[in-house]
Amino acid sequence: MATAQQLMVGMADIKTAKSGATFTCLGLGSCIGLAAFDRESGVAGMIHIMLPEAFKDKPVEKAGKFADTGIVAMLDEMFRLGANPSRLVMAYAGGAQVFKFGNPSSTTLDVGLRNSAAVEKILKAKGFRVLGIDIGGPNGRTVTYEQATGIIKVRTVNGGEKVLCNLKG
Amino acid sequence: MEEKRFFATLRVKAMANAAITLQDIVDKTSDLPTLPAAALKVMREVESPHSNASTIGNLLSVDQSLSVRVLRLANSAFYGLNRQVKDLNEAVVILGMKTVKNLAMVAATYPWMSRPVKGYNLGPRQMWCHAFGTAVGAQLVAKMSKACREDIAFTTGLLHDIGKVALSVWVENKIQAISYYATREGIPFDAAERKILGFDHCQVGGYLGEKWNLPEEVVLAIKHHHDPDSLMPDVPPVVDCVHVGNYLTMAMGFGLGGDGLLYGVSEESLARLGLSSAELDEIMDEFVGSYERYEELFGELTAA
Repeated sequence: MATAQQLMVGMADIKTAKSGATFTCLGLGSCIGLAAFDRESGVAGMIHIMLPEAFKDKPVEKAGKFADTGIVAMLDEMFRLGANPSRLVMAYAGGAQVFKFGNPSSTTLDVGLRNSAAVEKILKAKGFRVLGIDIGGPNGRTVTYEQATGIIKVRTVNGGEKVLCNLKG
Repeated sequence: MEEKRFFATLRVKAMANAAITLQDIVDKTSDLPTLPAAALKVMREVESPHSNASTIGNLLSVDQSLSVRVLRLANSAFYGLNRQVKDLNEAVVILGMKTVKNLAMVAATYPWMSRPVKGYNLGPRQMWCHAFGTAVGAQLVAKMSKACREDIAFTTGLLHDIGKVALSVWVENKIQAISYYATREGIPFDAAERKILGFDHCQVGGYLGEKWNLPEEVVLAIKHHHDPDSLMPDVPPVVDCVHVGNYLTMAMGFGLGGDGLLYGVSEESLARLGLSSAELDEIMDEFVGSYERYEELFGELTAA
């Protein structure tokens, strides 16, 4: 049996594969780990998003750092490998939040919430099917996506591991 | 039923800890973190108006192990020097007193901060990642806000969680219960520690800092890194820098343990530093790049 290719998706990384990969986003705090899969071609991808949007007055060194530039860049890579946009299914996790003193409605210090909102907005605008979401809360998460089985697992320090969804259906 | 049992256990554990004092933690913890005397002396000497390359070099040279580590760090590719630094005085002249002080602090803390801190569910190097991340974050906040000296923000960020190292053995197997309690009550983790243990890791760290005779503002920042507003109206800027630096580190997921992100964050802190939300995002953007560049330095430490 072939061994799965282990792909660590570090901060601001975009990783894609035609087959046989296991993607891991380690220790997500407020960041988002987003996985995408084309059920027909089998092409998969994962991105580790840090911030909701790129700075208007700064060049983007790593597209994967931001939700707005990163999702588009990951999709481009997947399309080059043979994925079809109309067949993509997705899941994402992360966006942990801290307590807020003072004004609880302010989102200044809530990058987790802003990241989650940005990802949701982009995926909705593009019309992608989202099969699993695990966001918010105070826990750091590690997300693993096994391309062969389609299973996405989320592990937290206190909560152990759970299956978020299966991108293969 | 399970919840009932859980809280019964929690109460028993709390009672078991009821008689424990901060003094007990320091006296009875066998694996208490230590700072080499030479590193502490250098930290104080840098603040002296009479300090120079020679006084700093002489203080460091007393501790051979620390000297070797500082020289190794000074010669790492991170600093990109085009010749080898052979003695400590030279390192101070080339890199500056404040940089050498920070190198000494990094070299002095790495051996015990890189070990697992089991009580807080932190594996090998995770405490180090969090401490170093906070040092880098606090330094960037100080740089952007110009609120305090960058080197002081760095050192203080590095030391902010020493209380966790000391408290680890006392909270082993209790972290999940404390987290659960904090979540259930809707209070930050440090408040839950105080309810259950009688004190929190910030107080333990502050107590340790006083024992080490650390500068007052460093001790204050260790004690109040989760609640800077409690020092109002006179919050030392370094306390805010470390608070925000710690937030950045948690948000980026650096060394998250069983307490996760169960902490408060103060927007007042950001306001006092004069930083906007957009500037915080910029710091976050720069933070990861800075941390990654420092990883080269970590390599030197691991090899030392």
